[in-house]
Amino acid sequence: MVEQVEKRIWERVSKWSRTAAGMAVILTVVVAVAATLDRGGYVLVNTVVTGGMLALVAMGLALVFGVMNIPMFAHGEYFMIGSLTAYYVFTPINNYITMNPDSSLVFLGPLITIVAAMIVGALVGVASEVLVFSQLRKRSRENWVMNSFLLTVGLSVVLINAHQLFFGADFKGITRYWAGMPISIMDVFISRDRAMSFTLAAIVVVVFWFFMTYTRTGRAIRAVSQDENGALMVGIGLKGILMLTMSLSCSLAAIAGASLLFMYPAYPSVGLEPLYMAWFVVILAGLGNVLGAVMGAFMVALLKVLTIEYIGSGWDFVVPSALIIVVLIFKPSGIFGSEVRGVLDK
Amino acid sequence: MDQNNPVNKLLDLLCFTPAGVIALVVLFVLPLFPPFNQEYLLRWLISAAFIAALAVAFDFTAGFISIVNFGYAAIMGLGGYTSAILADRIGLTPWFGMLAGGLLSGFLGFVIGAVTLRLRGIFAACLAWFFGLALMGLATKMVWLTRGPLGMRVDRLFETQSNLPYYYLCLTMMVAIYIICKWCTRTKMGLAFKAIGQNMEAARTSGINPIFYRLVNFTLSCALGGWMGGFYAHYYGILTPDMMHTSKTVEVLAVAYIGGRGSLWGGAAIAFPFIFAMELVRSSLTNLPGLNLLLYGLLLILVMIYYPGGFAEFFDTYVRKPKNRMMDYFLNGAYGAAK
Repeated sequence: MVEQVEKRIWERVSKWSRTAAGMAVILTVVVAVAATLDRGGYVLVNTVVTGGMLALVAMGLALVFGVMNIPMFAHGEYFMIGSLTAYYVFTPINNYITMNPDSSLVFLGPLITIVAAMIVGALVGVASEVLVFSQLRKRSRENWVMNSFLLTVGLSVVLINAHQLFFGADFKGITRYWAGMPISIMDVFISRDRAMSFTLAAIVVVVFWFFMTYTRTGRAIRAVSQDENGALMVGIGLKGILMLTMSLSCSLAAIAGASLLFMYPAYPSVGLEPLYMAWFVVILAGLGNVLGAVMGAFMVALLKVLTIEYIGSGWDFVVPSALIIVVLIFKPSGIFGSEVRGVLDK
Repeated sequence: MDQNNPVNKLLDLLCFTPAGVIALVVLFVLPLFPPFNQEYLLRWLISAAFIAALAVAFDFTAGFISIVNFGYAAIMGLGGYTSAILADRIGLTPWFGMLAGGLLSGFLGFVIGAVTLRLRGIFAACLAWFFGLALMGLATKMVWLTRGPLGMRVDRLFETQSNLPYYYLCLTMMVAIYIICKWCTRTKMGLAFKAIGQNMEAARTSGINPIFYRLVNFTLSCALGGWMGGFYAHYYGILTPDMMHTSKTVEVLAVAYIGGRGSLWGGAAIAFPFIFAMELVRSSLTNLPGLNLLLYGLLLILVMIYYPGGFAEFFDTYVRKPKNRMMDYFLNGAYGAAK
């Protein structure tokens, strides 16, 4: 009995490992381990920390495409809004902390900051859905993907320059969120901020997954992504779902922006790099595939870390984009495929 | 009017309506009159003509086969760098260098077209964009060839200090690009482009070979972009990888779409007032940096939502159907607007 089950599991694993997804995942793990053995543990740590945050941004991007069919070019700007909010919320908290180093805000302050950024991101998401996307949806449905894409291009230009106009073009950054000694794992020192930001990313991904899989609202979102008319027929309020999706995906990007404020200070075009990376991820994993985006985020993060490690910084756009082009030539729908335009479905 | 009149025949051959010719003549004599004879206004005119030419070539892909070539600025930059490097290393005259840049860009366009053949819409746009990002990264890192972010000095095309010859050259190139694109699109090929852009399956069933047409379209559009890139290099005299940035593509894209997709002339017509207004806002409100680009983005959003056809559609619906026969000839030419 046990042997049979074992055999069946083994068969499934070996079958999975022959698909493109399986091969890609295994290859990623092998390369990551090899590089870690070659250069030391910090390669792995960097990959995991970058990948975690990239996963948040890419997940939002994949969600918006899967549910609303919008190829979002302004997603980096929600990242920027997150980091901007975090800066303005955290600065007074930080002043308070330096005055009273024993208060509970030392630990809670950064968390409050990130939650505030999340809320602001969600609000901006709702605003852009109401002011921009629903307006286009009311007027035209033909050629929707391309038109909404151009709309997001305009939105990105507006948000970047609004930041420059109202908040100035200088770098608004902080040195750290959580003070204290770095944590040491496997002889690698990880600053507390990095460790916390990865933990946060992991928590958010898991919570998000539970939300999408087990709650009614999450299921409604998935239903809309699969078939809009069908969802309408069974009584799902489309408007609310679309608005919720937008605010969810924007708040995911804002969380990433806020928790990475110590690495990326807030300035008008800070969102461009996360945007490029998230697009790499989403195209690599397959547009609209949210779980694939999480895996893809780690792959792209690994690619980026390895490029910087072995070839030198500055090449980190050339090598990943070249590789992704090659992958796309052989597998146009992405590694994890998106023939089924589901959100969390496979 | 008289369809056998040789002037009308010539106009038709060049794809111009009498109104278009008059607009062009105005553009040609504009820098001779104040206030446009000042050098800084002339520079605005040149950048407007430059954007206009790129918008026409961009619209050739975006408006006809409905694929946004999001790496367009990088392709233009490739043409510029090619021309500059050829002039610098082997002393090739810029006139041939610009053509060589166009050829190389056309080749790259062919490659991008071939790679994106199986992809549609947004995937193709993204792939072109990744090509652009990779090219920009290469231009930044291949310091031995391009001097990277330091900028590469390029010999200017004319020996004079005046910008006037550049303006005329740029305008001529714009007209040439317009005529080339228009010639392509008013044959059967243009119909095929539109068919592919609207519905690839339907086009394929009616016997159109999408591979051939998409490759031709990409190659031509990119080659023209590279040619303009050569002009950019030899006009500004300095090249940095920044010229390949996505924001430059967005600039061209905004003008092309506000002008009207699929019209070719719309982008060229709207570029002049548009760039002028932007430069005016930028130079008069220096204490509000970024305002001009903010307006830019807002305008793009508003046009996309409320009037996706852009200026060309507005013009065609409200201005181009006059009762008066003289006006009709003036706006539509002797052979009607259908041409």
